[in-house]
Amino acid sequence: MKLKPSLSSSSRFEGCTLTGALSVLTEVQDAVCIIHGPAGCAHHNFSLIHATLLSNDRFKIPRLLSTRLTENDIIFGGEEALEATISRALSLSPAPASIFVLSTCIVETIGDDTEAVCAKNRGIPVIAVPTAGFLGGVFDTGIRNALHSVASLARPGVVDPTPSANLIGEKNLEYGVDENAAEIARLLGRLGIGINLRFVRGIGTRDLERLGSAAANILREPALRPVGEDLRRRFGTPYVDSFPVGLSGTLRFLDETGRICGIDASDAIEEERAYQAAMLEEFCDMAGSRIRFQTVHPMLGTDPEAEIVCTECARTLDLMIAPDGISVSFPHPAPVGTAGLRRMLHQWRLLIRGRAPEI
Amino acid sequence: MKQIALYGKGGIGKSTTAANLSAALAGEGLDILQIGCDPKHDSTRMLMHGTWIPTVLDLIRERGEEEITVDDVVYQGFRGVRCVEAGGPEPGIGCAGRGIIATFQLLERLNALKGDVIVYDVLGDVVCGGFAMPMREGYAQEIYLVTSGELMSIYAANNIAKAIARLSRRARSRCTLGGVICNAKNIRGERDLVAEFARRINSRLIAYIPRSHEVQVAELHRQTVVEYAPESDQAAVYLELGRAIYGNRETGIPTPLEMDEIETFALEFIQV
Repeated sequence: MKLKPSLSSSSRFEGCTLTGALSVLTEVQDAVCIIHGPAGCAHHNFSLIHATLLSNDRFKIPRLLSTRLTENDIIFGGEEALEATISRALSLSPAPASIFVLSTCIVETIGDDTEAVCAKNRGIPVIAVPTAGFLGGVFDTGIRNALHSVASLARPGVVDPTPSANLIGEKNLEYGVDENAAEIARLLGRLGIGINLRFVRGIGTRDLERLGSAAANILREPALRPVGEDLRRRFGTPYVDSFPVGLSGTLRFLDETGRICGIDASDAIEEERAYQAAMLEEFCDMAGSRIRFQTVHPMLGTDPEAEIVCTECARTLDLMIAPDGISVSFPHPAPVGTAGLRRMLHQWRLLIRGRAPEI
Repeated sequence: MKQIALYGKGGIGKSTTAANLSAALAGEGLDILQIGCDPKHDSTRMLMHGTWIPTVLDLIRERGEEEITVDDVVYQGFRGVRCVEAGGPEPGIGCAGRGIIATFQLLERLNALKGDVIVYDVLGDVVCGGFAMPMREGYAQEIYLVTSGELMSIYAANNIAKAIARLSRRARSRCTLGGVICNAKNIRGERDLVAEFARRINSRLIAYIPRSHEVQVAELHRQTVVEYAPESDQAAVYLELGRAIYGNRETGIPTPLEMDEIETFALEFIQV
């Protein structure tokens, strides 16, 4: 029996399993996602994803279909409606290269066998993704389930002679996804490692065949370890369990990535250390300012990583943490790499300059 | 209008009892509606002389709710008893409980729920909210538990008593227990056992129906006993049952037993 998620898990960032899965699956650009449930389950997800795409200047429409179940389908079973919707998806133009079928609370309640319907041979992969939220899953579970499902489309790969890495589980609904990816690419560049596949962002079904040919997988955050383990089992690819966070964290990231790829990272680390020092130099005018940290919103709590990073930066820049200091919100999530810190420090300076008393 | 519902373990003889009860009541000149609430849809078959009438849910599935009239779902059987079968999804798919709810909503909309007595014949147990529908406000106010003297049958009856007790706590609930009907399996001391069970759950044995070969013979002829052998002792039993239920003014809220209480009390009777 699955229990209710805790109150904090029902907040903005951890809600519906279906939404989490769609944030991944709608990034397979030539796929169609079918939401097997009432029309409303598709509607609010479509709206959210579409709005997020627009606010990131990505002008595309998520390819979602709903089986639009009504009372009769609930009484008699929704499998026929699913069958019909899969046929509809197959007849779309341009034709999908793959189809993901996402279950909802009601179809799991009445016991529709989504997997059995998907198993029929239709010429392209039709993958069932379990996403009924009442079974205890949250947004993050949806992301993980979706990544597992998409990984099933990959083939056992041959590792490229030129070392490259996959980005695993980028948070597609957050701002700065591409800036974060660019930062990872910059850091990996210091080690001579390229990006093999963004798993999953802006890719096609055929691209997934490359999933197994990277030397390392870089997970977006430690919560994705089960996905990292799954990929290690399937393809033997080792993983780094998080994007880099903090000054020293970023150096450790280079060290760890170099180690698992068999590359000596000591030059890269020294170069990055110098780069960080130059970046910090830009903010030396803030030295001596009094600040205090607060959570961005009581409903969100604090990312513990963010707290460590903020304290580290404050210390390095000789800021004073005091109860009467200028209020600075913890970033949520924690900033990625040296570039992320730079953006954060810019905000700090705006706050300090805007609110600092006139001398 | 009196609305009653028969509940009890699967295979205990609810449908046979309900059909003969309806036939007996119709013989008293009453207007009877019998509604089978079981996906197996065999509640009214003997009243319909073996005909399988279209079920409400089959019609909803085939035509959609808007196209259905009263004449599509209500069929006149023996002595003018009006028969309805809710039906349900294919076994192993969908949600039969929601189907019962949809059936009731349609029957209400069609103004089909009328007559002197409505008999709801419900499947084995109150497995989910849908099958508690007949017990809800506006439908059956008197529930009759059909049981034999077998422990498992009494256990099921006790479970249904739990559902009645639970539902009766709701505001505006008018669901009560009308009594216990012993549909005998020819177990020694069966009548006393069931009567004592009824007493312990704050109810009473309202009828004892002996096991009879005539029921089987009548059903082979696709008829109720009341129709096939109207002069028989068994027909007289159903006539008496009809009178007892129609005249019943003593209904109440049951006090179901705990599992170990049922076992202890069954042991007492076996020792006697």
